[in-house]
Amino acid sequence: MESIIIKTSFDADATGHFGQFGGRYAPEMLLPALEELEAAYNQAKSDPKFLDELSDLFKNYDGRPTPLYFAENLTKKLGGAKIYLKNEGLNHTGAHKINHCLGQALLAKRMGKKRLIAETGAGQHGLATATVAAKFGFECVVYMGEVDIARQRINVFFMEQLGAKVIPVSHGTKRLKDAVTAALQDWITNVDDSYYLLGSALGPHPYPSMIRDFQSIIGLEVKEQIQAQAGRLPDYLVACVGGGSNAIGLFNDFFEDKEVMMIAVEAGGRGVDKPGEHAARFQTGGAVGVVEGYKSYFLQNEDGQIQSTHSISAGLDYAGIGPEHALLHDQKRVQYTFATDKEVLVAFQTLARTEGIFPALESAHAVAEVIKLAPTLAPDKIIVVNISGRGDKDVFIVAKALGDKAWLEYLRREAGE
Amino acid sequence: MIMTAIEEQLQKIKAQNRLGLMTHIVVGYPNLEESRRLVLAMAEAGADFIELQIPFSDPVADGPTLMRANQESLKQGTTVAQAMQLMGELAAATPIPLLFMTYFNIVFRYGVERFCQDAQQAGCAGLIVPDIPIEEEHREHFILRAKQSRLSVIRVISPASTERRLRLNAQHAEGFVYFVSRKGVTGAQANLDAELAQNLQKIRQYISLPIAVGFGISQPEHIVAIKGTADIAVIGSAIAQTYSGAEKGQGIAAVCRFIESLAAVL
Ligand SMILES: Cc1ncc(COP(=O)(O)O)c(C=O)c1O
Repeated sequence: MESIIIKTSFDADATGHFGQFGGRYAPEMLLPALEELEAAYNQAKSDPKFLDELSDLFKNYDGRPTPLYFAENLTKKLGGAKIYLKNEGLNHTGAHKINHCLGQALLAKRMGKKRLIAETGAGQHGLATATVAAKFGFECVVYMGEVDIARQRINVFFMEQLGAKVIPVSHGTKRLKDAVTAALQDWITNVDDSYYLLGSALGPHPYPSMIRDFQSIIGLEVKEQIQAQAGRLPDYLVACVGGGSNAIGLFNDFFEDKEVMMIAVEAGGRGVDKPGEHAARFQTGGAVGVVEGYKSYFLQNEDGQIQSTHSISAGLDYAGIGPEHALLHDQKRVQYTFATDKEVLVAFQTLARTEGIFPALESAHAVAEVIKLAPTLAPDKIIVVNISGRGDKDVFIVAKALGDKAWLEYLRREAGE
Repeated sequence: MIMTAIEEQLQKIKAQNRLGLMTHIVVGYPNLEESRRLVLAMAEAGADFIELQIPFSDPVADGPTLMRANQESLKQGTTVAQAMQLMGELAAATPIPLLFMTYFNIVFRYGVERFCQDAQQAGCAGLIVPDIPIEEEHREHFILRAKQSRLSVIRVISPASTERRLRLNAQHAEGFVYFVSRKGVTGAQANLDAELAQNLQKIRQYISLPIAVGFGISQPEHIVAIKGTADIAVIGSAIAQTYSGAEKGQGIAAVCRFIESLAAVL
C-alpha cells in the first residue's frame, strides 16, 4: 500500500484554498488553535511512525482493507455495466467515519489533548469518535441536533455506552449544521485541552485536507483491488456526498486518471425544486457563501441565511459541502447529481434483496444512482460504488417509511404501553 | 487628518477621563420597532457606542442568549435591507456612533463593496465581523472596501491570540480593538475571567489603540474592575437578558435603568 498522502491537481494551496473555496474564515478565538493543528498535522503526516501506527490501527483495530465485492446479482438485474461495491460498512463501527477518527485521535494524542469534541448527524461519526475516545482514553462530548437524536436513537445509546456525553442541540434547524456550530462553540471555550474531531471533509483549513487524507485509504485500496480483480481501472466511481468525506476518500487517488469518471450523489429529499425540501447544494437554493469556517456552496436565501434542509438520511441532511467538492464541481471533474428519498428506499431494498447487503440510507443514495446509470452502460464498463456504511442504524426510519405494522407493534410492546 | 466619528467619540471619553460604554442589540429582536426604541433609549441613558447586530442563522461566536435573539429576529422575517434602513433612521436620530456587527456570510452575500457603501450611506461608523480574519483579506478585500467607505473595521482579539496574531491585528486595527475577555462565546457571567487584568496588560504591549473589553461583562462591579486597564466596556447579552427578563412592556425602562447603573461607575 502506498502512503495515504497523495498529491493531486485539486489540492489546496498552502493557506488551505481550493481555488476560490476553502480557507480559514474562523473567529480570532479559534485561529491560534487552527494554526497549532495545522503545524501538528504537517509534522505528523511526514512522520513515518505516525503513518505506520495509523496503518496498523486500520488493519488490526478497524479491519481494513474493506472488501471490494463484485455485485454479480445486481449487475445481472440491472443488465448493464459491472458493479463493484466498496464495502465500507464492514469497518469497525459500520461506516467509513472511523478512518478519519483513528487518524485524528492519533493526532490528538500526539498534541497532548485530553478531550475530544465532535458533531454528528447520522450518529456514525459520533459513534466512531466515541469509539476512539474509549480506546485512547479521551473524555468525549458529542453534539447532535434534536431532530437527529430522535431519528438515530441507536447510535445515541451506543455513544453513551462508550462513555461519551451526547448533548442535544436545540438551536436553529436542530440538525447537523447546528451541531457543528455548537461543537465550534465548545472548542472556542475549551480550546486549551480539547481537540475538535470534525466529521467530514469541511470546516476551516486544515480540516478538509486532513480528513481527505485519512479517507484516501478507501480509493487507494480500490485501485489495488480493482486491478487485481478486473485488471484495469474502473470507468465510474459513485459515492454519496453529505459533507464529502467518503466521496473524496474514494475519488482522491483517481483524480489524475483522466479516464475515470466520478459521480457524487446529494440528498434530493422530497424533490430539489423547493428550498427546505432537500439537501442538494448544487441544486435550487445553493450558492457560494462563507459559513462555519470555510467558503463553499451552501443552501441559503438571498440574505445569506442558511436554509433548513431535508433528507431521509441524517448524514446527508446538511446545508454545506466540503470546499474541495465545490472546486471539483466548478471544474467539472466530478458530476454532482441527487437521489430522492423514494429512490433511496427502493435502492436500500434492491441491494438487500440482490446481494444480501443493507446499505446505510446515506450510501443508498449512491446505489440509487447506480440503478439509473448501470443499465445505460455497456456490459464491459465498470462502476465502483462506495457503500459508505451499513444500514443497521436505519432500521427505525426504514421500517417506518415502509409502514411495517409488526415493527410498530414491537415498538409499542417494548415501550410497555 | 479628519477624525472619524469613532475617534471623536473616543477623544471625548478620554477628555472626561472615564471608561466608554458600548451596548448591543440584535436588529429585529424582539421586533424592528422595539429595536429602534431600544437604541434611542440606550443612547439617551449613556451609551457611547451601540452595536447593531444583523441577525444570522449560524452565529458561531454567540452564546445561548444572543443565539436565541438572532433566531427570534429571523423568525420575524428581519432582512439585511431592513437593518440598513434602521441604521439610516437611527444614525440620523442619535449623535453617538453606531456600528454594524454581523457574520461574514451576510456581508459576502450582499457584496462586500456594496455592503460597505450602503452601510456608510446609512450613517454606520464601523464594522465588527468576527469571522473574517486578516489572512483572507487578499481575497475578500473587506478591510480595503470598508476603508474606501470610511468605515472603521474593529479587529477582535482574544486571550488565545498569539504574539504574531496580536501584531498582525494591530497593523490593521482602526478606531479601537475589541478584546474578548475570556475563552468562550458571548454571554453574561457572574464573574470576570481571573486572568483578565493580566491578559489586558499583555495585549497593551502590542495594541496602541483604545481597547474595548467584551464577553461576560454584566455588572457595575465588572466595570469597576476593568477601569484603568481597558478603555471601553462592552455589554451585549446582559442587555438582551435585562430586556427579556423585565415585565411585559417594561423592557426598555429596565434596560435604561441598567445602563444608568453602569454609566454611574464608568
Ligand atoms: C454511512 C454514511 N455515509 C455518508 C455520510 C455522509 O458524510 P460524508 O459526505 O462526509 O461521507 C455519513 C454521515 O454521517 C454516513 O454516516
